[in-house]
Amino acid sequence: MISVEALTKRYGDFTAVRELSFAVQPGEVLGLVGPNGAGKTSTLRCLAGIIPANSGTVRIGNVVLADDPVGAKRQLAFFPDEPRLFDYLTVRQHLAFVARIYGVTNHEELAGPLLEELEIADKADQLPGELSRGMKQKLAIACGLLHAPKVIFFDEPLTGLDPLGIRRMKDSIRRRAQEGAAIVLSSHLLHLLEEVCSHVLILKKGEKLAHGTLGEVAAQFAQGETNVSLEEIFIRATGNTES
Amino acid sequence: MLRALLYLRLTSGQNWLLTRVRRLREPKYFAGAVARLASFWFFFFRHLVVSSPARRSLASAGPLTPDLQQLPLLFIMVPLGLISVIRIVAAWVAPERQPGLAFTEAEVAFLFPAPMTRRSLVNFKLLSSQVTILLSSVIFSLISNRGAALGGGNMLTHAIGWWLILSTFSLHTTAAAFTVARLIDGGVSRVQRQAIVIGVIVLFLGAVAYTIWWSAPPITPTEAANPWGVLQYGLRLGDTGVLHWILWPIRLLLAPFFAANTREFLLALGPALALLALHYAWVLRAETSFEESSIASAEKRGRLLEAIQSGKSLTQAHGLSQGSLKARRGPFPLRSTGGRPEIAFLWKNLLATPSFFRPRTFFAAVALIAVGTNWLRHGGGTSLGVLEFLGFFSLALGAYVLLLGPQFARQDLRGDLAHADILKTYPLRGWQVVLGELLTPAAILTALVWLFLLLTLLLSEAMPARLRLLLTPELRWAVGASLALVVPVVCLLQLMVPNAATLLFPSWARTNRVRDRGIDVMGQRLIFVAGQLLVVLFALVPVAIIGLLVWFAAHWFVGPLASTAITTVAVLAILLVEACLGLWWLGHRFEVFDLSSEAVK
Repeated sequence: MISVEALTKRYGDFTAVRELSFAVQPGEVLGLVGPNGAGKTSTLRCLAGIIPANSGTVRIGNVVLADDPVGAKRQLAFFPDEPRLFDYLTVRQHLAFVARIYGVTNHEELAGPLLEELEIADKADQLPGELSRGMKQKLAIACGLLHAPKVIFFDEPLTGLDPLGIRRMKDSIRRRAQEGAAIVLSSHLLHLLEEVCSHVLILKKGEKLAHGTLGEVAAQFAQGETNVSLEEIFIRATGNTES
Repeated sequence: MLRALLYLRLTSGQNWLLTRVRRLREPKYFAGAVARLASFWFFFFRHLVVSSPARRSLASAGPLTPDLQQLPLLFIMVPLGLISVIRIVAAWVAPERQPGLAFTEAEVAFLFPAPMTRRSLVNFKLLSSQVTILLSSVIFSLISNRGAALGGGNMLTHAIGWWLILSTFSLHTTAAAFTVARLIDGGVSRVQRQAIVIGVIVLFLGAVAYTIWWSAPPITPTEAANPWGVLQYGLRLGDTGVLHWILWPIRLLLAPFFAANTREFLLALGPALALLALHYAWVLRAETSFEESSIASAEKRGRLLEAIQSGKSLTQAHGLSQGSLKARRGPFPLRSTGGRPEIAFLWKNLLATPSFFRPRTFFAAVALIAVGTNWLRHGGGTSLGVLEFLGFFSLALGAYVLLLGPQFARQDLRGDLAHADILKTYPLRGWQVVLGELLTPAAILTALVWLFLLLTLLLSEAMPARLRLLLTPELRWAVGASLALVVPVVCLLQLMVPNAATLLFPSWARTNRVRDRGIDVMGQRLIFVAGQLLVVLFALVPVAIIGLLVWFAAHWFVGPLASTAITTVAVLAILLVEACLGLWWLGHRFEVFDLSSEAVK
């Protein structure tokens, strides 16, 4: 569903992502981890078509992102760390706007259950300024899910959420994966990855240090020990330093 | 304690200045500073050093007429006086819920828990406000002293005069806020307070009426003939009867500014300083609890800065910081399928504009213009001179909106830069996003220009033939219709310039939005406006030349009306090609646009 080959992203002389390759199949949740500045956000933004990669190939479904960005973007949703909402649009108007952009038919029939599921149906006529941080996050998710994306990218999805919000976000990610979406998320919160992700990719200085299922990556850095936590694996993999 | 506060203020000021000087190493700030200093030189200082031929001929023409001497009075003092009166009345009638001194969030965090008296805090803020007042005094005196021979006094007396006026005004509004708060604490209700203020205003107006009725000198025919004369008469009236005593404090305050020579200035200085001292004493005596509202206003200012930095216009940012946004109905029904996605951007961005920017307002304005001009021409007994004035005024306003409107109508990429990440995930080509973003300001500017054009055309019916450029009514309307067709594309082209600047130099555009002070930032704004006008000139002049050639060539064969139609088609075709090329290029820029790489640089 997501296929990345030799992805490279540079900012001037600085290489943020170097020759990165991996794939995510439907139903899989890949966790991107790494120290600050490892290239997680740059990777996600390249995959979502927000910034152009300098080289490499990204496929969303069977569509090459660079060749047909519109076709690729129809299949994906991207959720930044902070919900980016339009201050002057109510919850309902956000959904109407996104429905027009994606050409979603019967969006009102789809939006109702989605708002119910995300527990913001009673806020339908409120502006983002009147919503709590968690509610804004839910609205951003409703907007992203309205066109039933097959590929979903989350950048630090738990930022600013309260414990209940964190629980619901984790449930939501798992549910989308069970429904067949391919999901990539970046996070510093290793316990989230342990609970939600089927696969993990450790980055450092833009390069892939490890990639595989949680068990495979654990085995790679366990050095014969059993029951090694992901935190310990992360520290061993990254050498206990920032990028 | 005051020494510590002074240290804070002076060190902050010194560091602010150092930062400004250091950032001149960056080309964008250096270019801005050069542009601003050049504009200062041309407007304020050049005439002090260089004697231009125009100035020499003005000087040789002898002393200025009294009319000209009143120019600075009419154009600077009268508007400022009106604004001051409105603000003073507002300070008494509708002040903030609680009196608040303008502290920053850092000052609130450090100073409020510090072991210092409330009076020290008040003094600190009053001293801090002097920085702005001193700077304003210098700038105002540069403006009011622009024509060196105009008005009395010199640069120094004008600067001190402005300082006295602005300081007293600032102290008066603070004292009013404190006094109103004390009244509220004392149980005086809002209605009672407003009744008192309105009563005072009614008494003042009564005094004016009494003065005019009993002791006003008659207005001379010379005075009645022109606005300067009417102003002179107003000043004479203010020195008559009861008004003489009511306006006495204001006259004391203004006297140093208007002093004709040093002796007069020194004589006027004492009473004005005494008035200032009285206001200071009033503030100290009226001092009341201001902490809560100061904290609230500091937080509000923090939100305002955050909103501006995220790309909001000043009006939008104010709405967000005040928490006063209200949900509105969509400007038109938006279907989810069966239409261009760009229209969704028009719908979205129109929602961000005040609710009068709607089609219904436009049609109401058209009806009002049609009825109003008909009444002016046939039923209002309006003189031709007034109609001519209105016609040219409307034409000038239309041109102003067309040329400078793109700097103000910012409901496009400039306002949506913070959402660039999300916009780029939409399944749209770059040019579609750019076109969608440009539609709202283009529609607003087009509607405004159309209204002014309609007004001009309707009023032109009553103008003498020489002012109608000898055009027949049919040809006038044909030219009008032609211009109306061309205007939307011209607006679109104009708007591409600031949006291109946003995509090419996002950090420039960002500093242009932020309420940053300093001559370099002011200069950057000048460069932006000049750049826009230059690019538009480059795009439009060849089209205008081609249009004229086509018109003259065609009208020999098909007559003026048909040639106007042919010219319109030709001009529109060229402009549309330019617009398409511009959109394509801007769309490509948007697709490769990466705000994060700007941050890395």
